[in-house]
Amino acid sequence: MAPVLLWLVMLLCLLISVVKYLMGIILKWSFPSANIRKDYSLQPTVSVLLPCYNEGKTVYETIESISRSNYPNHLFEVIAQDDCSVDDSYRWIQKAQQDFTNIRIRSGRNPVNCGKARTVCNALQHSTSEIIISIDSDCIFHPNAIRELTACFSEPNLGSVGGRVGVRNPNDGIVTTIQTIIYYTAFQLYKIPENWTRSICCISGCLFAIRRQLLLEIEPAIRARNWFGIPVNQGEDRFLTHQTLLRGYGTYIDNDALCWTTVPNTLSVLFKQQLRWRRSIVRDLFYTLRTLPRHVFKLHPNTVFHLVLIPLGAIVALLVVLTMLFTDPLAWVSPTPLIGYLGVAAIFTWVISKYSVKETLSHPLAFGAYVGWSLVSVLFLTPLALCTMDSADWGTRAKSQQEVELGNPQ
Amino acid sequence: MATLNNLPETQPEATPQQAPERVLAPDIKPIPKGQSLLHRTVLTVYRVFAILALYAVLIGIVSYAFIMGFYAVNTTWAAPVILSDSDEKSLDFLEKLVTSRQTLEDLKVDVTRQQSSLSEMTKHRGSLISLDPELQHAIDRERAHDKVTGPELVTLDSQKIKDNTTTQQVLQELEQTEAQIRKDLAAGLITKADADTQLAALNQSRDAYTDSKIAEVLLTDTVLDKTTRGTKSLDVLEKQAELRSEIAQIDVAINIAAKQLEEDNRQVERLRDAIATAKQSPYYLNANGSKRLYFGFVPYDNQADAKVGAPIYDCYLNVILCRKVGIVKQIFLGEQIVTHPIFKTQVRGLTIQMDLSHPESAKSKTVFLGHKPLLF
Repeated sequence: MAPVLLWLVMLLCLLISVVKYLMGIILKWSFPSANIRKDYSLQPTVSVLLPCYNEGKTVYETIESISRSNYPNHLFEVIAQDDCSVDDSYRWIQKAQQDFTNIRIRSGRNPVNCGKARTVCNALQHSTSEIIISIDSDCIFHPNAIRELTACFSEPNLGSVGGRVGVRNPNDGIVTTIQTIIYYTAFQLYKIPENWTRSICCISGCLFAIRRQLLLEIEPAIRARNWFGIPVNQGEDRFLTHQTLLRGYGTYIDNDALCWTTVPNTLSVLFKQQLRWRRSIVRDLFYTLRTLPRHVFKLHPNTVFHLVLIPLGAIVALLVVLTMLFTDPLAWVSPTPLIGYLGVAAIFTWVISKYSVKETLSHPLAFGAYVGWSLVSVLFLTPLALCTMDSADWGTRAKSQQEVELGNPQ
Repeated sequence: MATLNNLPETQPEATPQQAPERVLAPDIKPIPKGQSLLHRTVLTVYRVFAILALYAVLIGIVSYAFIMGFYAVNTTWAAPVILSDSDEKSLDFLEKLVTSRQTLEDLKVDVTRQQSSLSEMTKHRGSLISLDPELQHAIDRERAHDKVTGPELVTLDSQKIKDNTTTQQVLQELEQTEAQIRKDLAAGLITKADADTQLAALNQSRDAYTDSKIAEVLLTDTVLDKTTRGTKSLDVLEKQAELRSEIAQIDVAINIAAKQLEEDNRQVERLRDAIATAKQSPYYLNANGSKRLYFGFVPYDNQADAKVGAPIYDCYLNVILCRKVGIVKQIFLGEQIVTHPIFKTQVRGLTIQMDLSHPESAKSKTVFLGHKPLLF
């Protein structure tokens, strides 16, 4: 029985890999028509919601990058909402408000710290625009980003559009090198099959555009999110995307809408971030399984496939690795995965240096360390996520409750 | 560098704009103000389960790492092996043993047959060899005789030729006598009866001459036989050559048969040794033993602790709380290749027979030889 189960699990993993990457390559190269037809003449009003918590000066840089947007300035505004940061973030927001007068910037502050999801909802209260773009306060945006995102809404049934997230600090160390390749493959290959049927299952919260009416419809659900009575304020991007799909709208990633984020450069921060993401994935899987019977016939089969099978992949991978450790404990010593990852690193380093010069890797072979990280990721993150579903800890923004002296902006 | 400290405080938006009227989706329920009893119960159960699960995971990871490290450095472990009667290796071994025994019996029959054949050939060779000198002796004797009688016969032959020549001259004179007889008969000087008597006497003389001539020819032949190598003597020599050839062939056959016998004897010895060694195999003991026997695999790295009489310990969780369960009874030197009980890799080593006072320990994944692995 056990070997049959193992084979089924392996088959599932193979199916997922083939679908995600092979189909990604095929669709990207052979079916450019699968991309959306953008209409740049479409220029709706836009509110850029900027939830902020303990970002310090970075939030100023973020607003600065938005102020350089080539989207008509009178058609968009920035609404920065501080979630009771304990550092000088809010003052940096105010500084930006004063410095970047070419765009309309409004700021607000939550009465109590309530998490990113509810901060977005609070910011939404100040907005009247047709399109809402929610962004992360630690990202730098390409001037074309807003223009690219809004142009996608020419497709009437499209509910949400995301942008591509690049890595600002690819060469900080092994940890960032790994993430650079992962981010790049995720956007350029992994999500392509989902894009094909407008069924992206998770648009990154770094750059998330959504129709205002749709967000208003979903907002109560965001506020009502709870896990057996405990408010959930993590994974709002995945939740928003999922809700968009369940309401019959399409979701899409526009790889021409660029933003750059600073990824964790230490293992501990990466671990916390990945744990938070894994928790969201597991939570979303449970939500999917709970709601799927009601929605399964409305959704595209590709959407169902990605909503169910991909999150299952994390649990499946755990089972595979556990089975492997018990049946062939020294299998991980085999050089095959290392060679495989080095091969991937070689290919993608070349591709990245050709198509995304900013992310060019100086030490691509560091990606070989992904063998170790993948074991940690598979073995520890999933069980830990499953056992800490009641945690509301963001993990990567914690700071002691003390005011931090402001530095001088450039 | 300007500081932000002097910047005027910007007031947050006090009153958000009125949001349009919204309708909750069917699957959305407003968050309850307090946790319901059900939620609290579920959460409590979940948290207890999660804590237990996380501790189990933690203990599992630590244990796994410890076991891996322990077995990487430990040099006293052995893996018990239970050989059943229907064990594939045992059956295979028995099959080979039976085949070897059958081959041995066949070889023994062959050896006996070859020994008998060799003995017969040796006897025959002896007979032939003893015949050869007798034949040679007869030839020599005949040659010696011919050497003596030959010259005499040559002399006699010459004398006979001379005699016959003389007789022939006399017979020429007899023709005149015969003519005179016929004249006398015609003249009536003698009677017919006298004439016939006289003519008959003349014929007898002629007949005697002819006989003498024949004797001369025969004598010449005899002389030829006695003084030269004729076909008869060649026949004798041919027979002698055949005899020697037959002896040589028998020698070759004896030689081959002797070597074959020697090889068969060696093969018999080898098979006997192999069967004797096989009888020392755990599989043989297992297949022929009347009571259950217990064996164990010892990797070469742990061979130093595998000594006859060494105590055997069985431990809980393969590591701790060990107890003595028996001793090493016998060591089999034949190499075994088995799967490592923990690492699942192929390991080379040898087999031991264990005398277990606690037979259930034969079902343990590992036991330890010589001493407890962790001193408790």
